[in-house]
Amino acid sequence: MRSFLALLVHLFPAEFRSQFGPDMVEQIQSDYDRALSHGRRRAFVFTLVTALDLVRSGVAEHRHPTWGITRTPQITEEGTGMRMNGWTKDLRYAVRALRRSPGFTLVTVGTLGLAIGANAGIFSVVDTVLLDPLPFPDADRLVYIAASAPGSDMPEEFGVSSEFYLQYKEQATLLEDVSIFIDFTATLRTNNRTERVRMSVMSPSLFSTLQVSPILGRLPVPEDESQVAVISHTLWATWFEADSAVIGRSYEMGGGSRTVIGVMGPDFWFPNDRVLLWIPQNIRAEGIVPGRFGQPLVARMAPGATTDALVNQLTTLALRLPERFGGSAGYARLIEQHRPIVRSLEEPLLGAASGPLWILLGSVGVVLLIACANVANLFMVRTERRQREFAVRRALGATRGRLIRAQMAEAVVLAGLAGILAVFLAWVSVPIILRAAPPNIPRLDEVGLTVPTLLFTLGASLLSALLCGVVPAIRSSATSLTRLSDAGRGSTRRGHWGRDGLVVGQTALALVLLIGSGLLVRSFWELRNVDPGYDTDDIFTFQIAPEGDHLPDAPAYARFHTDFMDRVAALPGVESVGIVENVPLNEGAAGGRFRTEDTGSDDEAGSLLRYTYAGGDYFGTMGIEVLRGRAFTMADHVSTLGNVILAQSAAGLLWPGEDPIGRRIQQLGSENWETVVGVVEDVMQSDFRNTPQPLVYFPLVGQPGSPTSRAISSPAYVVKTSRADVIAPEIRAMVREVAPEAPMYRVFTMAGLASDSMVRLSFTMLMLGIVSMLALILGAIGLFGVLSYVVAERTKEIGVRMALGAEAKRVQRMVVAQGARVVVLGVVIGVGIAAGTTRVLGNLLFGVEAADVGTFLGMSTTMMLVGLLASYLPARRASNVDPIEALRGE
Amino acid sequence: MTGRNAGGMSSLEYHVLLAMADGPLYGYAIKEAVETESAGTLTPRTGSLYRVLARLMTWGLVAKTEPAEATLPHPGRERKYYGLTAEGRGALAAEARRQRGAAALAEERLGMSEGGP
Repeated sequence: MRSFLALLVHLFPAEFRSQFGPDMVEQIQSDYDRALSHGRRRAFVFTLVTALDLVRSGVAEHRHPTWGITRTPQITEEGTGMRMNGWTKDLRYAVRALRRSPGFTLVTVGTLGLAIGANAGIFSVVDTVLLDPLPFPDADRLVYIAASAPGSDMPEEFGVSSEFYLQYKEQATLLEDVSIFIDFTATLRTNNRTERVRMSVMSPSLFSTLQVSPILGRLPVPEDESQVAVISHTLWATWFEADSAVIGRSYEMGGGSRTVIGVMGPDFWFPNDRVLLWIPQNIRAEGIVPGRFGQPLVARMAPGATTDALVNQLTTLALRLPERFGGSAGYARLIEQHRPIVRSLEEPLLGAASGPLWILLGSVGVVLLIACANVANLFMVRTERRQREFAVRRALGATRGRLIRAQMAEAVVLAGLAGILAVFLAWVSVPIILRAAPPNIPRLDEVGLTVPTLLFTLGASLLSALLCGVVPAIRSSATSLTRLSDAGRGSTRRGHWGRDGLVVGQTALALVLLIGSGLLVRSFWELRNVDPGYDTDDIFTFQIAPEGDHLPDAPAYARFHTDFMDRVAALPGVESVGIVENVPLNEGAAGGRFRTEDTGSDDEAGSLLRYTYAGGDYFGTMGIEVLRGRAFTMADHVSTLGNVILAQSAAGLLWPGEDPIGRRIQQLGSENWETVVGVVEDVMQSDFRNTPQPLVYFPLVGQPGSPTSRAISSPAYVVKTSRADVIAPEIRAMVREVAPEAPMYRVFTMAGLASDSMVRLSFTMLMLGIVSMLALILGAIGLFGVLSYVVAERTKEIGVRMALGAEAKRVQRMVVAQGARVVVLGVVIGVGIAAGTTRVLGNLLFGVEAADVGTFLGMSTTMMLVGLLASYLPARRASNVDPIEALRGE
Repeated sequence: MTGRNAGGMSSLEYHVLLAMADGPLYGYAIKEAVETESAGTLTPRTGSLYRVLARLMTWGLVAKTEPAEATLPHPGRERKYYGLTAEGRGALAAEARRQRGAAALAEERLGMSEGGP
């Protein structure tokens, strides 16, 4: 904003600026900073008022100079003075001319303002989220490193493990610094507040890799071990009232007491802006069990290093891992297949946000083109009507350049007004857009009308002025004196071609957007109809993490939770209650390797499965069908029976085509075997798009070595009740009574989680839907306008035809046919463009091809129908022409 | 030159002159003085303020000058100081007289006595 205002100082004449410019800039900056210290709103108002003042005084200084008038001889000023005068005169003339046609002005300013406003709005988001570099120095050297192992059963991309970090840190010469990190949810407890918050454990090198420093306190050093934490500015402000005395105090964070040593600045976030604190952890070669994958790396490349060279070096370094750290034969095999993945840090941090935003920016750009075509059309019509006036002006000695300038001045005035309207629209609509935006987009709260956005709007306005004005301007200037004699009526054939061409273009572009949004609507529909394996209606879910001396071991926890489930089940309107470690759509399940007793101990690699635990009536509550055997009973939850339940796909993976009931599996590294007592339906754990993962369910109390042999500290409750939307306060009161130390968190309804999981798609769909509707309406208006003009122009001819006995129907058909020709051509071109471009929707699509014939056909038909309707209205007017009236004009 | 404002000057012009009556000031200080001395009725925006300053300089009422006393070195760019010329002092005094006369006339017509309304 400050630099935007400083820019406006350039509106003053150079003479004036050389004397006062630097002082003015300095003054503006001090004033702006002072206003900003009173809040953003104040700064915005200041900017607005100051900008208006600068524009007003800058222009006034040109017209009535206060400076340099006595010192500089008048003659040297003449040249620029005259030129300025010419433009000022043109602009003033344009304003007067536009005032005389308020309808034209209103429609053009409205159309352009809407389109430019949409562009400004989306651009402000794109600018903040995607174009602003990451808040780290030399961010282009920062990379994200993960692993892949083509040909193995590992996911396409997965986090590495500690031994990779050590190896890279010690031996990768192409890396200046590297850090390993992971983020998770755990309890933060201060004297008066307890909550589960997002935190990150990372190697102390994280901050040096990113080259950031705290605003308060210090950064961790290896000697700190894990006894300290650095907190985020948000946490500092919301939990500690921004009190600097927080440094040196200790609180319970992530299962241990740690001392706060530093506070980061408000701009710092990593790896996402939900993480509130960072706990350092030293990683040493001793005691590393190789193959515990799942943690990504962030690294700073040495100056001059390339990604390709880095991939090669890391591949070689990883090959030496088994030699240094040992590990199973399966691990060695995996390392053989391992290929590092190196990406710019921006990609994973900005996540999936970038695709939809670029698509939206492209779409609103297209809408701007359509709007410009519309306005250009209106301009041409206006120009045609003013042929006579232009001819007169030329006859009176106006040069061609003068006429072009006069026309362009009108376009500039209109675009300027549209720009102002656009800034206003963007200012109003951006907060609304943001409310509908998907979560996990970093820095959304920083989005606003920044200098780049205002400059972009200015650029878009000038560009539209050029697009709208230049062709009609040049055409009108070519008016010959002969036009004086034909009374200004009729038009050139060239005019038709120009206007028809514009309508063809509009139709084509609008159709492309329509098809795009049609494909998204189809995807949304398909996704809504996916059977995830569980119900999403009438289910309430929350988590609690009770702690204390009365909960010493796994059976004690199991008893606590079964008791609490009973209490919740007794609430009015509750049908059933269950618990699970990871609620689908909210958290993923952990992965582990399992072998069966049939493959035995020879099977060193095992099969990669996911595991979780489930208790109470989890399957019944979620509507997950038991396909074979049985669900868990109370006996499974209170004693160590060693029973497990498999999801269908896990059973199919371990024993293809066989009955798994009564057979046994073992997790690699555990001594005990678990017996399969049931098989349940697959569930979609992370979202509705991916295939279900093979899942193993453990009971609440497991055998030694199983995941539930230790305390199950923070399960998620699922509650089947028709009061899912309103039951939270009752349960919260009950939690306070039973476990006052345990915060209730992650409170959702399954329906809410389901719609959240689709928000990236539904947001893009909604936005693209609005944009394509806008395009369709603008396209239809364009066609309607052109045909109306043609009918008005041909009134005489139609009158003659009707006088000679042409039927009204035939006249209508004639006009509609003319419209249809243009629309059909537009549709054909639009389908062509869409076929080449819908692929950019990429992974937003689900269950529908980018070139889906049905959508293409449906949307083309819609476009044709709208086009025909837009033609029919003028056609009806044509058939109502009274021959006598029409001919009287002669 | 001074004749041009004999018929009264704008209140912003008057206050800018008034601000410098105690000694030369730099731009931001002029602005702050105007705000305070006009009891908040004038909040000059940068563009308008410097045009007034330019006009007063063109009229010969104000000139660029040195600060009255040695100031502490200001970090960054050196500040430009502006001060009243002899003509400026004259014009300010004339305007003050004119305003006093006008005020007296108003009080007389409204029947305001020494003791208040």
